[in-house]
Parts: sequence; C-alpha cells; structure tokens
Amino acid sequence: MAHIWPIGGGKGGSGKSFLTCALGRLLAGLGKKTLLIDLDLGAANLHTLLNIPYPAKSLSDFIRRKYPSLENIVLETPVPDLFLISGANDTLDIANLPYEQKIKTMRAIGKLNFDCILLDLGAGTSFNTLDFFLISQNGIFIATPEPTSIENVYRLIRSIYFRRIRQYFTASDFKALEEEAVQYFGNGAYAKPECIMQMVQRIYPETGIKLDNDFNNYKFKLILNQLHKQDDAGLGPQICKLIEKHLGLKIDFSGNIAYDEHVHDAICQRVSFLDRYPYTRTAGDLRELSKQIIYSAGDQLMINYS
Amino acid sequence: MEKKFAKLNYYEMLDLKPDATLFEIRHAYNVSLQLYQTDSLISYSFFSPEERKTIQDLLEKAYLTLINEKKRQDYDEELIRLGVLDETAKKPVVKTPVSVFDINRAQGKTGPIKNATVALRAKVIENQVISEILSREEVSGPDLQMIRKELAVPLEHIAQETKIRIDYLHGIEGDDVQALPATVFLKGFIKAYLKCLCLEPVDEICRRYMNRSAFCGGKA
Repeated sequence: MAHIWPIGGGKGGSGKSFLTCALGRLLAGLGKKTLLIDLDLGAANLHTLLNIPYPAKSLSDFIRRKYPSLENIVLETPVPDLFLISGANDTLDIANLPYEQKIKTMRAIGKLNFDCILLDLGAGTSFNTLDFFLISQNGIFIATPEPTSIENVYRLIRSIYFRRIRQYFTASDFKALEEEAVQYFGNGAYAKPECIMQMVQRIYPETGIKLDNDFNNYKFKLILNQLHKQDDAGLGPQICKLIEKHLGLKIDFSGNIAYDEHVHDAICQRVSFLDRYPYTRTAGDLRELSKQIIYSAGDQLMINYS
Repeated sequence: MEKKFAKLNYYEMLDLKPDATLFEIRHAYNVSLQLYQTDSLISYSFFSPEERKTIQDLLEKAYLTLINEKKRQDYDEELIRLGVLDETAKKPVVKTPVSVFDINRAQGKTGPIKNATVALRAKVIENQVISEILSREEVSGPDLQMIRKELAVPLEHIAQETKIRIDYLHGIEGDDVQALPATVFLKGFIKAYLKCLCLEPVDEICRRYMNRSAFCGGKA
C-alpha cells in the first residue's frame, strides 16, 4: 500500500505546492513510483509547476463520473516515475466538494497503487483540507518564519485536532459536549480542542482512550520554509516543543528550507528548481528533507465517520 | 491548557533535571522567557493574553523558587513527599578530584609492556635451569637456546624486538660459525639477545659465550 503524505500549511504562499512538487521529483528520482494529487480544490497549480499547461484530465472528471476510477485520470509527467492527478480546468464549484464525493475520493486515494502519494492541500482550514490531511498519519505542516504564517499553522493544527475529535461524534452529541466544556472551563472553551478533549475523557472514557491512541500514533512533521539568513534556525524545534507541551500533540521538526530568490525564477520559467539550481543551499535542504521523509512512514488511516 | 501547564512541577515547567545547577536554571528561565514573552514569534497567537500572563507568572514563581537555595530545598522535600521526585535523583553525585598520577599504584600494574618485562625478569631469577646455566664458566649456543625455551620466548619475537635477522639468531643458538657475522657485530648481537631475554649481567655472559675454548668466533 502506498504511503501518503498530505502537505498542508494554513497560510497561502508558504510553499506547499512548491514543496510537493520538489519532494515528488526527488522521490521519483529515488526510483519510487510517485503520485502527486492536487487537492488545492479550486486553486490548483501543480500542473503548472510540472510544466503541463493543459492537462487532458482532471479530478473533476472523476467527481463528475466521466471516469470510473482515479487510475483513469492519472497523468504522466515529463519526469520519469512521477505522475499527477491534476485539479486544473475543474468545475467552478469544486471548492465545495460535497461530503459523499469527498469520502469517495478519499477511499479511491487509499486504493491507489503507488509507492508514494503526496497530497497538495489548499490554504485555510476548510473541512476538505482537514479531512484530506487526516487521511494518513504522516501529515506535513509547512510554515514560514513570519507571525502570519505561524498564526495560521497553529490554527490549522488546532483545527485538525478538533476535527479528529469531532469525527467520533454525531452532530448533536458534539454540540452537547461543547456546551459541557463551556460550562466547565468558561467562555472560549469551544475554541480549545484540549478542553474538549478533557471533557471527552471525562464523559466518554472509551472514546477518550481511542483518541489518545490516535494522537500518539500521529507522526506529523513541521517544515519551516523560506528561512532567511537573519532568521533564527532554532525556531522550528521550539514551535514543536510548545505544541507538545501545551496541546499534547507530538510534532517532529523535519528541517528548515533556506530562502532563495532563484525559486521565483525557476517557477516563472516553469523549470524544475532542483535541476536548474542544484547546488544552492535550498536544493540541498530539499534533498535532505526528502531523505528524512522517506525513512519515516506511519500507517494509513481511513477515517470512519460515525 | 493552562490547567495542564499549571499541573507541571517547576522542573518540568522549565525543562530541567532535578539536579540542575544554578547556571542551568538561569539559562532555562531565559529560554522560556523568550518562548513566552508577548512579542515572541514562537508563541505568537498561541495563547490569549490572560493565558500568557498566567504562564509568565508561573514561570517567574518557578524560577524564584528554584534559584533560592532554601526555598528549593523545601520544594524538593515537598515533591519527594508527594512521590513526584525520587530522593536519589535530587542531589547530584558529588564528584571528587581524580589524581592523574597515582604513586600508590602497585608495581607491575603500570602497563602491559612493563608487565611482560617484569614477569620475564622474575622468571629468570626463579628458574633453576637458567641459574645453573648462568653459573657455568662457558655459555654455548645450545645453552642460550635452552634458556630461551625455558622462558618460552619464540625466536621470532627476539628477531622482531632486536631487529636482528633470524638466520643470525639461528646461527648464534646453533654455534654455526658459517652463519655468523664478523666478531664485532656478533658481540653486539649477543648483547641485544641477552637484553631481550633480561639475562644479567650482559657483558659477563657475552664474554663467557665468546671466550669458549672450542669456539673460534665469527668470520674475520
């Protein structure tokens, strides 16, 4: 079964698509059959980064049942061993993927026969993003060392935490749980997943244990992108420490990626940054990361909605 | 969340070991101040202002407790009483200075090389056969070979130690005149051989070997 790595980051422009593309190229270069799926629904870019300006098929074709399975819409890319499911030319309402379609897509992704699958997720914390992120235990968060980006990545991590708890309950049960938490912890508790989690452990101990297990098994990673020379390289580990101490969620810091103006040039010329500028610091960082990521694969996690 | 943080003990709050030194405590406090201060990039937007204030107050309290020797002792005792802290973990192991040159060390324990020499010397003195040979007026090649065999030293070892070619050594032990070098070299070789086996006095034994009536020495 394939290893799935969802890549999300909360804020737009933090380099999710670029990282997905670069990691995809590196993994394919290592001889792994790699598939990139553009799940940035409604704002798909991956095909442009891979220099396929007019993809013949896209995710919409699967969702609108033009093709029966995901395998039919897999595109070959100019890179050997690298494949793409594009989100280009999709219907204008795709950003609001209905629930059944989402579940169907997730199941289909789980059945795909590739060595590695990278999911490029959209910005923000919509349910689509959260659910696709939770498809695997290997989620990768990406942020830049700016307050805006860090704010959003915290937001995303909390939302994912929250979403996972929510998946165990029906709407009405969850509503009751929230009210309980507000009563116990005071106003504002509904925005704190750790408060809800405490309530779960108190009221539904069995579910609490299950959730605890889930959170212990996650192997989330954090990557800091666009690190300028003057930025503190120790920021990432401290962020992970803060999250572990206060949210109880263990996130491994995978590494920094140096800022490089040449990334802009490479994207404008629509060539691979790694091929055009292989000896830059940034390219070295990316290669290092790809090695780290390939050696740390957790299980897949298909979510059962109750 | 702040509830959970407040439940940590002071050492956990500051990420310290129970035997942390004052310097470590000060350093840890500085690090956590950077982490939790208002304009810190790391904790930006992570806490509400009230939460941040609570955490900062807790950290300050932890620091002030641990940095004060009396208060820290009281706090440690409290933790031990509650079973949070192990009594042995509290106090650092007292390190005493270790002397580099220990005069009182027993002789013969200084190193493997000296050890071997000392053992050899003891063997020479103790061994009856060797004493008997050494007390003779003349010492022949086969006598030297017997001594060497008593001491269980292989000829290759002597060749290695003295850098004398092994066929010369064979010649010395076999009294093989044809194989021996000129007298002046032979004397030196025999002395080296004797020194290697710790046989004393070197000059005297060498003389007894060279001045045998039946021995005509090396080549001219």
